[in-house]
Amino acid sequence: MTRADANTTGARASGVGISGLNPPPAGITASTSRRMRSIRLVLVAIGVLLLAWGAFVMFDSVRLTRIPGVALWVGAAIVLHDAILAPIVFALGFALRRVGRRATGTVIAIVQSGIVVGSIVSLVAVPTIVAKNFAPANPTVLPLDYALNLGIFWLVLALVTVGLSVGAFLRWRQPVPALPDDSGR
Amino acid sequence: MYEAQRALASPVRNPRMATVIGRLLGAAFLICFGTGLYSHFLQEPLDWMRFATRPEFLYQVTQGTHIVAGIACFPLLLAKLYIVFPNLFAYPPVRGLVHFLERASIALFVGASLVQITIGLLNTYQWYPWPFPFRQVHFALGWVLIGLLVIHIGVKLPAITRHWNKSSSSDDDHLVDAVSNDRASNAEAVRLWGTTRPGGVTGRVLDYIDATPRVASSVSRRGFLTTVGVATTAVVGLTAGQTFTPLNAVNLFGPRKKGVGQQGVPVNRTSEQAQVADAAMASAWTLTLAVAGTERSFTRAELLALPQTEVRLPIACVEGWSQMASWRGVRLRDLADLMNADPETSFRLISLEERGSFSKTQMGREYVRDPLTLVALELNGETLDLEHGYPARMIAPGRPGVLQTKWLSRIEAIQ
Repeated sequence: MTRADANTTGARASGVGISGLNPPPAGITASTSRRMRSIRLVLVAIGVLLLAWGAFVMFDSVRLTRIPGVALWVGAAIVLHDAILAPIVFALGFALRRVGRRATGTVIAIVQSGIVVGSIVSLVAVPTIVAKNFAPANPTVLPLDYALNLGIFWLVLALVTVGLSVGAFLRWRQPVPALPDDSGR
Repeated sequence: MYEAQRALASPVRNPRMATVIGRLLGAAFLICFGTGLYSHFLQEPLDWMRFATRPEFLYQVTQGTHIVAGIACFPLLLAKLYIVFPNLFAYPPVRGLVHFLERASIALFVGASLVQITIGLLNTYQWYPWPFPFRQVHFALGWVLIGLLVIHIGVKLPAITRHWNKSSSSDDDHLVDAVSNDRASNAEAVRLWGTTRPGGVTGRVLDYIDATPRVASSVSRRGFLTTVGVATTAVVGLTAGQTFTPLNAVNLFGPRKKGVGQQGVPVNRTSEQAQVADAAMASAWTLTLAVAGTERSFTRAELLALPQTEVRLPIACVEGWSQMASWRGVRLRDLADLMNADPETSFRLISLEERGSFSKTQMGREYVRDPLTLVALELNGETLDLEHGYPARMIAPGRPGVLQTKWLSRIEAIQ
């Protein structure tokens, strides 16, 4: 590693653009930053050792022919999140902001919150419905009517969300000028 | 890339929020790792290891917590990824070897975390749609993730310390280059497109996005934290009833339900899967004890004729569910004494089941000598059901269900 590289580590590895662009707050002495630097190096070193141990355990206990399957799943998870889930979430949030232009921010936030909570609970619950179709090993595995429960959950969630939104809307229904924008632009 | 980051900018996408959610997620990972290791070593102890037998619900709590914390990771991890998502569009994508390694470690961290919590959850549903063995991969990924977590904390430490307390964290701090430095953004845009905005469709789409009203940042932040809190409470609260009795009434999505099963106890491995029905129901069944070269066989009637003890112990599964039950049978300690076994001896428990990874297991002396450890013959006031291990099964305090050997056939002292 060159000297320049080493400097880059300190300044930039701390986060994409966080410490790279914002100067550290005044009052941080050289010794503090030296201490910080050594703590970070120790942490990274310990982490690399643990990671290497994990890799060893993986190769030691899983047949070599199965390892590509693990890599495939890890890669697929990244693609699934970054290329599918995140854009959908962005599009939904964006659409909601456009549709809800005349509503207050609070109403948008409540509706958004309801949708997100419902989606995350569904994420955990829908696989039970799917897995139940594969005839579980015995009747005590997945014994509940998960589709019905999920329906009830969404119904209650929708009622609560609508109730809170109406409440918030009524409280805020005075002529609202442009929404304050301090998103940093 | 700058434009993408700008379009994705949001008041919740800042380093303070990344720190707040990151702490919770990190804590959940550590809890999962710790309880997971405990469960692992209970099942595969190193020679010198001894375990606590009290409180008798210890494993119910540690493994229930393992599953609860794992489920809590779903909302927490998604929230964390939502906050840092604009970093995906960092520009230039790679600024050198160290930056490349950092980004690669983040990619692996994200992918491995998602896989780990997904296969963990589906394992509790006994659904295995992946092309690799669950136990080994889940265990190895546990080490991989803890390593990546420590690396991640090391790399981000300055940001974490700066944003640990609200007071020292500034609202003006942003996660991404573009938003915190419009000048650089504009310079880069000029270099790319000759103007500060891209033209054509891209430009119009970006203008459209910019023209959309944004929610006030305080509302946005509060809304975000509330959402994460409610979602975490919901996924945990609506599933944890399979482990923790007070939540039983709202167990809507747990893969097990308390009280559902033969004699009110859920079943994991069935007699059919284990292929033991014939041997278990045979009238010739005996339980053989082997200590230091001496062997003695007991029929079920002979076991029933020995002093009987009744204990209340939970059966607690690695999959997180547990069920308190009333067991009656012979103390293992009494049987060991009958055979004049040295109190320092550990035992090997052998099931009628011939295949299966837990057909032969070991029991350390701390469990052998515990007055609550029984060779159980009855469950909840009835003769043990075949699915619960008839004619006789092991029940001991604080051990995973897979080690509570069903369909006992032989108990040997390990010399």
